[in-house]
Amino acid sequence: MKRLTSATLKGSLYAAILTTATLAAQQQAPAPAPPTPRAAAPIDLTGNWVSIVNEDWRWRMMTPPKGDYTSVPLNNAGRAEADKWTEAQDGSCQAYGAGALMRMPTRVRISWQDDHTLKVETDAGTQTRLLHIAPVGSAPVEPPAGAPRSLQGYTAASWEFAGRGGALAFGQGGGGGGGRGGRGGPAPLPKFGTLHAVTTNLNGGWLRKNGVPYSQDAVVTENWDRFKSPNGDEWFVVTTVVSDPKYLAQDFVTSSHFKKEADGSKWSPSSCK
Amino acid sequence: MQIAKRALFAVAVIGLAARPASAQIDLSGIWAPIMHEDQAERAPGPEIGDYAGLPITDAARSRGLTWDASLLTMPEHQCQPHPSTYGFRGVGNLRIWVDQDPQTQQVMSINTQIQWMEQRRKIWMDGRPHPPEYAAHTWQGFSTGHWEGDVLVVQTDHLKAGWIRRNGLPLSDKAGMEDRFIRHGDLMTHISMVYDPFYTSEPVVKTNGFRLGLANRLDPYPCESVTEVVRAKGAVPSHLPGTNKAIEEYAAKYNMPVAAAAGGADTALPEFAAKLKTMPVPAKAK
Repeated sequence: MKRLTSATLKGSLYAAILTTATLAAQQQAPAPAPPTPRAAAPIDLTGNWVSIVNEDWRWRMMTPPKGDYTSVPLNNAGRAEADKWTEAQDGSCQAYGAGALMRMPTRVRISWQDDHTLKVETDAGTQTRLLHIAPVGSAPVEPPAGAPRSLQGYTAASWEFAGRGGALAFGQGGGGGGGRGGRGGPAPLPKFGTLHAVTTNLNGGWLRKNGVPYSQDAVVTENWDRFKSPNGDEWFVVTTVVSDPKYLAQDFVTSSHFKKEADGSKWSPSSCK
Repeated sequence: MQIAKRALFAVAVIGLAARPASAQIDLSGIWAPIMHEDQAERAPGPEIGDYAGLPITDAARSRGLTWDASLLTMPEHQCQPHPSTYGFRGVGNLRIWVDQDPQTQQVMSINTQIQWMEQRRKIWMDGRPHPPEYAAHTWQGFSTGHWEGDVLVVQTDHLKAGWIRRNGLPLSDKAGMEDRFIRHGDLMTHISMVYDPFYTSEPVVKTNGFRLGLANRLDPYPCESVTEVVRAKGAVPSHLPGTNKAIEEYAAKYNMPVAAAAGGADTALPEFAAKLKTMPVPAKAK
């Protein structure tokens, strides 16, 4: 084992003093503004995407028959409501609400409406969702007081950064940086993470095209993650948890995956009624 | 000397702060599969002739149609576990645990076991290479993993010939898989991407969820084969090419075109949903 010499101790002392002085100087400087959600994004969800429907094919690509609510954990009230559906209602916009929209066979176009808002559009049913993302380290965005209920509701979102067990306070660094920022300000934000979104203010809708219901009391919690497949294709998966005390006996959990497309040339809006 | 001690302490603290953060997240525990998607396939089992939405090749379809469900009654098949390419979508709880070197605490492997047929898989995390092609192929294959942020990413090869879907759609022993484990609190999203040079035209991407539970259990699953059906020696339940009408029968049962039930990459795209309404549907058998 190497012995500590006087020179080693002196060197360590100088290093410590120098670092302490640097930290003190940083503490006196005005804190920089946190980056906008757009600048802080650990993953890029923008672009043109297409849902690949290789799960629940019969319940997503076709309108299931009345009373087919296979695998949806409805309670008695939910089943009773689902049984009211008639074939004449097929194609209703009720099936395109935030609780089920990402489960639709659809193309999705995602773009930044502004530095704080991610816009998610679908050509199926021609719907638009707005994900209001909180600045890094801030509390989730609250729905404006008196905001009306709607099919897409109000979505409050936040970035969850990898390596820190979720939310990150500005200046914490992370993802390999660790600790507070070094020279020149905070450490770079991690390049891995998740978009966590919670949607409320819904006016209810259908989990499936055949009228399987969720109520206006439902809360839709989503995690959006990006990944790449071995052949180089880019994907995102959105894990959706629908909680509804009125019609569901337990949370309804699905995960839907989308492949990136080169452009929007296959965008084909369809209406709902 | 006191100053020197403080300096050393400061250096140590600074050193710790500058250490690269470990990106891994703990996946340990017993996870219950959430059967809210593909439930009909994953729990009771897929219907024969249902290939809709899967990016299979013509070869896969032809081979699938030679399959007969009675094959599962044969002693050689009764205790077969699912391959790792399918087991994570099957039934049974999933236990995940970590093996660490007792001295260095380095993570050597992350292990998974699924209750049904005791599917045990070892995911090597120590950077070792995959073995040469002539090494043994197994049901779970040879897996190595790494972290991308908080996501465990696993590459698997050296698989036995298995199945894309347990209604006869085959997977060859040249197939591979990349799967990902993404934890969000007590929920985990598992992504599997299975590719096969013979039987898939593009990766079969599937995503499904698990929920962590402190009360979840993993019970033993012993299996012993018996003679369920007495057969002549050498008899293997199967269909000769061109004789199996399972796709047509499935399509008729659910009022869908035969081309939909037959599968293929195009059947998973939104535009196929629009085409469905213009395609003929076979009449139901009386």
